[in-house]
Amino acid sequence: MAVTFAVTPRSQSAVPAKRGPRGRALRRGLTGWAFAGPATVIVVGLSIFPAVWAFFISRAKWNGISPATMVGWRNYQQLVQDPDMIAAAQHTLILTAIFVPGSIVLGIVIAVALNQKIRLIGFYRTCIFVPYVASAAATGILANFVFNPQFGAANDILRHLGLPQSQFLENQHLAIYLICLILLWGEVGFTTVIYLAALQDIPRELVEAAVVDGASRWRVFRHVTLPELRPVTIFVAVWQTITAMQLFDLIYTTTRGGPLNSTQTVVYYIYELAFQTQRLGYGAAAAYLLFIVTLVLSLGVILYGRRRGSEVF
Amino acid sequence: MMTSLRRGRPYRLLASGLGAALLLSACMGGTKDDGKDAAAGYDPKANVEITWWTGQTEEFEKVAEQLAAEYHTAHPNVTIKVSSGAPTTDDLLTKLSAGFTGGSYPDISYAYGNWAGDLGASGKTQDLTSYVNDPSFKWTEIPEAARLVATTNGKVIGIPALVDNLALIYNKKLFDAAGMTYPTDEWSWDDFRAAAKKLTNPATKTYGTAYSVSGSEDTTWHLWPMLWQHGGKILDGTKPAFNSDAGVAALETLRQMAVDDKSMYLDQTDEKYGPLFNSGHVAMMLSGPWSLLEIKEAKLAYGVADLPGYNGDHQTVSGPDLWVLFDHNDVNRAGASRDFVKWLTSAEIDPKWNLAVGNLPLRSSEKDTPEFANYIKEYPGGQKFFDNLANAKQARPTLPGYEEMSRNVGDAIAKVLQGQAQPKEALDEAAKKSANSIGS
Repeated sequence: MAVTFAVTPRSQSAVPAKRGPRGRALRRGLTGWAFAGPATVIVVGLSIFPAVWAFFISRAKWNGISPATMVGWRNYQQLVQDPDMIAAAQHTLILTAIFVPGSIVLGIVIAVALNQKIRLIGFYRTCIFVPYVASAAATGILANFVFNPQFGAANDILRHLGLPQSQFLENQHLAIYLICLILLWGEVGFTTVIYLAALQDIPRELVEAAVVDGASRWRVFRHVTLPELRPVTIFVAVWQTITAMQLFDLIYTTTRGGPLNSTQTVVYYIYELAFQTQRLGYGAAAAYLLFIVTLVLSLGVILYGRRRGSEVF
Repeated sequence: MMTSLRRGRPYRLLASGLGAALLLSACMGGTKDDGKDAAAGYDPKANVEITWWTGQTEEFEKVAEQLAAEYHTAHPNVTIKVSSGAPTTDDLLTKLSAGFTGGSYPDISYAYGNWAGDLGASGKTQDLTSYVNDPSFKWTEIPEAARLVATTNGKVIGIPALVDNLALIYNKKLFDAAGMTYPTDEWSWDDFRAAAKKLTNPATKTYGTAYSVSGSEDTTWHLWPMLWQHGGKILDGTKPAFNSDAGVAALETLRQMAVDDKSMYLDQTDEKYGPLFNSGHVAMMLSGPWSLLEIKEAKLAYGVADLPGYNGDHQTVSGPDLWVLFDHNDVNRAGASRDFVKWLTSAEIDPKWNLAVGNLPLRSSEKDTPEFANYIKEYPGGQKFFDNLANAKQARPTLPGYEEMSRNVGDAIAKVLQGQAQPKEALDEAAKKSANSIGS
């Protein structure tokens, strides 16, 4: 009784008695929507609506111009048997399997090195971060100059060392690994900065206590530092997995998926399907498959993180 | 009450989103052709505004705007809104497809010839068949290959905007240095192969010839003239026929140069072989008149000959582009766009457009114009390319799905030239993959 008494007057007395509760609710609703409206329109119009529409497109055979034919789940059925799709998935998998652990390990190592008190530390930190600031497109164009088999700097160095020349990005067995390398070069600045911040967040007392207890530097790193970095690592792993799986600009500016489609990732294949050969329906289906896989992977990592007791998301 | 409202909102949002999506999925349909002439009963005096997408870069766009202004002065009732339509010509198709969905597309648009099938199937193009067959249009002055590309499914949907073809362009200095005679119009593919082998020098990184292995249309369409010379066909009805013996023999010739002789520079991008030719690292390339401008800028001594032939057949391939005319259910707009394009492509005006921007003339009757004489003087290879139009006897298919098939053939060629497959198996695989691509 007391509760009702306390609440009702507060919510009604603020309004002139003439207006019924309905008008008041309407006004409050309108005020709320006036704040939320513009953002909602943008989110619904530019994210949710295209995503829903893409789902309808993914169940059609459509080139964007002639009438579409609804084909049900046929696009999805064809996709799982499409050798090009399977190859693209393998390339993406290789890329992710090398890039994600690579950028984490390199990030930790460089962050630890940059966490020392040495001269010119600001300069070194800047050097590591600069490639990340450069766009992947610029990185790709730069890589083209370095790895051009005829006129590039990399082959010049090999020649001076007396080593055999390489085709680099034009070699179908080597290209995907070189892409990994270029990507690592560009992205390692990001993981380094994250880990650097995380390292500086580790309470000094913990390290000092371990040292007082007689732990060696390695054991301090292994049993104090690394566990403290776990939440950040889960975040970085999810983030870098998404980066690797959505890689497009670097491939577009270096190999365009070649040679012989050996660097064609899933996203690049989707681009080719939808915007080069105008198979919008099939491309949309491939995009939806990628979305589901990314979602499942991310959920998996988050659940794993929660079970280990560190909530980062 | 509040809580139930809150729970309701996302559902309502989702529902209205789904509704809107369903509505828009209706936009994925095309328009059925009603069989009526789009310009029947057209009044040439009516005030109209028509939209023209030129698909040109800034420099050429200015020429187009001048021409539109010139036309407006002569026909004050016709206002032409000129724009390039898209940042690059390649993007025009995406813009058009978005325009069809949104209901705002131009009256006239530039289009690559290989889009003709898809555009024709949209049901939004005009049927110009009877219009161009009027004697006053002089339709037959335009090269046959270009006329074929403008015709899809038996209907003329546009007027050729540009004609070109492939020929053999060679670097005279490299031939002189090797003490070899220049290529002739009578060369066979064996002559071509032998010369390419001799001109290749790994020490100076010089290649006899070059080929794109990006797997794009650039890779694919260089094979078609060789296939035709061997008596093969691209399609048999709507079924792929390029994997015949003729196709295998054509691809084998290329394979020998790329794999056995290593006399062929394999370009992964489409974009490197032109500059390499201009810098003297490639002795011979199979390319079109669009290369002449950059060769001229590189100040290279060059010559042009017909494509090498097989059994004396030197036919080539043409890649014409089109002005496609769209129907807006407005007879006056349709009629005005027709008359404008007729004027633009006429023997009097075309020299001010195509020849002015360095393309081949559209009509055979332009060969006596002073503009053509200037063009020949500026681009010494121009005459050969003009004559070579007569060798373009067949056209690429104008059926929907050609793009997809072209990609499969391009991949097959790339595989063979990089030594990863034999011609027969690669082409068979491409044919199998493309079995359902065409015509649907």
